[in-house]
Amino acid sequence: MCGIAGVVYKDRKLHPVGSDMTKMLDALQHRGPDSAGFSIYGGLGLEDNEYLLNIEIKEKPGILESVKELVKVVSPIKSEEIIPSVENYIIYRCKISLKSFSQLKPLIMNIDRIEGVIVLNGSHSFEMIKDVGYVLDIAKRYDTWSKMGTHAIGHTRFSTESIVDRYHAHPFQSYIIPDITVVHNGQITNYWNIRDPLERKGHIFETNNDTECIVHYVADKLSMGYSLEETLEQSVKDMDGPYSYVVGTPNGVGIAKDQLGLRPGVMAENDDVFAIASEEVSLREVMDTTYVEQISPGEVRVYEI
Amino acid sequence: MREIEIDAESKTPREINRDLKTLAEEYDRIIIKNPNAKHYLSAGLTTPVEVIIDGSAGYFAGTMIDQASIKIKGNAGWFAGDNMTQGELIIEGSAGDGVGQGIYGGNVVVKRDAGSRTGEIMKNGTIIIGGNSGFMSGIFMMGGRIIVLGDIAEDAGESIIRGAIYVLGEIKSLGKNAKVVEINEKDKKDLKELLPAYSFDLEDSKYNKFKKIVPRSKRPFYGPESEEG
Repeated sequence: MCGIAGVVYKDRKLHPVGSDMTKMLDALQHRGPDSAGFSIYGGLGLEDNEYLLNIEIKEKPGILESVKELVKVVSPIKSEEIIPSVENYIIYRCKISLKSFSQLKPLIMNIDRIEGVIVLNGSHSFEMIKDVGYVLDIAKRYDTWSKMGTHAIGHTRFSTESIVDRYHAHPFQSYIIPDITVVHNGQITNYWNIRDPLERKGHIFETNNDTECIVHYVADKLSMGYSLEETLEQSVKDMDGPYSYVVGTPNGVGIAKDQLGLRPGVMAENDDVFAIASEEVSLREVMDTTYVEQISPGEVRVYEI
Repeated sequence: MREIEIDAESKTPREINRDLKTLAEEYDRIIIKNPNAKHYLSAGLTTPVEVIIDGSAGYFAGTMIDQASIKIKGNAGWFAGDNMTQGELIIEGSAGDGVGQGIYGGNVVVKRDAGSRTGEIMKNGTIIIGGNSGFMSGIFMMGGRIIVLGDIAEDAGESIIRGAIYVLGEIKSLGKNAKVVEINEKDKKDLKELLPAYSFDLEDSKYNKFKKIVPRSKRPFYGPESEEG
C-alpha cells in the first residue's frame, strides 16, 4: 500500500520540517509497516563543495576503517557520526568535500564494493534518513524531531516486489543531477520500457525497484531542461500502472498520479504551507484546513520555492 | 432526544465502532468528536441512529451501514458509504474516490466535490454530488441514480449497465456504453423533490438543464441487443 507525503514552507525559511514529516508519516503508519524514510531539504548548511555520506555498515571489526580509508583517498573526513541501527548494523555519516558533484557517484560505487557496506545516499542540500521498522522508532533513532529545513518528503513502506532493507526503503535518490529523491506508492508496470532507454544513456541502476527507475527518469528529464512540472506531466504519459509518487528537489516538491487514479493523493495549502499526502489524516498533522483537494487521475502538482 | 459524545482522539477505529454499536441501542444521536480522518468510522452500523462525525473521516466511512443516518462535518476519504443498504450518509465537505461504491440503497450526499469512480458498481440508491464528480463516475453502474450538480469528468458512465446519471454541468466525455438523453417530466419532478431536501436550492429553470446519462445497451458485452432481458 505505502504512504507518501510532502511538505513545503512557502517563506523559504527554516522550519521544523523533520517534526512535521515525522507526524505526517506516523499518521500514515497503517499504510506500511516495513520501513520509513525522509528527505529533509534545506537544513544541512553545507559549503558549496561539501557532501554528506550516509553509509550502512555491518558491525564487524575492520569494516568501518576500510570505509574511512577509501573515503580519505578522495576527500578529508571533515566530521563524522555513528548512529546505532538494528540487526547488527550501524549508520556511519561523514561530511566530505569533493572537487565536483561528478566525483560523488564513483566514490559511492567504490565504497559499495566493500563487503558488508552499502552507501544509502550522498547529498548536498538535504538529509536522507531511512531505516527498517516503524516511523516513531526511526524518528527516535535518528532524532528526526529536531531536524530543521525548508521542505521534506517522506514514506512508509508496505513492500510488494523487492526486499525489505534500509537501501530499499524510500526515498530513492538519483545522481544524474544533485539531490533528487522520490517516494512512491504503487507499481510501474512498464518498468523495463522506462528503464531500458535510461540505461542506454549510461544511467546506472543499483536495484530492480521501480522507485529507483522513477527517480532516474525524473532526474534525467530535469537534466535535459524539463521543469519539474513538465517532467511529472511527461511521466504520467510514459509510465503505466497504478502509482502516485512524490519528488523532492532542492527547490520544492511535486506529486504525480497515474492516469487511472488507482493510488491516492490529496493536497491542501494555506498562506504558509503546501502539503501533499496519501490521506487527509496526514495533512491534518501540519495544517488545520477543511479544504482538501483530491489529486485527479493523471494530474500533477508542484510547489517550488 | 437522547444524545451522547464519543471522543475518538485516543481510540482505534475498532474501539470507536464497538462503542457506537453499543450506544446506538440506547441513544438517538451519537457525536464522534476528534475523528481526525480515521478510517472505517461507523462501519457496519445497522441501527436507526443518527451519527455526527464532527470533522473529517478517512476511508470506508459508513461502509455497509443499514438504517443509520451519518453526517460527516468535514471531508471523507475513499469509498465512503461503500455497499450500504439503507440509510443516509451526508458529507459536508468533499469525498475521495469511489464514494457510494456498490450501494444497494439509501442516499449518499456530498456537498462539495467527489473524486473518481463515484458510484462504481452501485445497484440501487441515490448519490448526490454538490460539486464536480471525477473520472469514470458511474463505472459498471447497475442501478440507482447519481446526480451531479457540477461537472462530470472523462468517461462518465463507463460500461454502465442500468441506472441513470443526471448532470447539471459539463460532461467532459462519455464512457463505453453510455449515452445522453433528455430528461423527462418525471425526472424533473423527482429531482425537485429530492434536491431541496438536502438544501440544494436550484432555480426552477436549472432543472431543465440537467442531462441524463443512461446505458446504450443492457447487454453491451455478452450478446446482441435482441437478447436483452
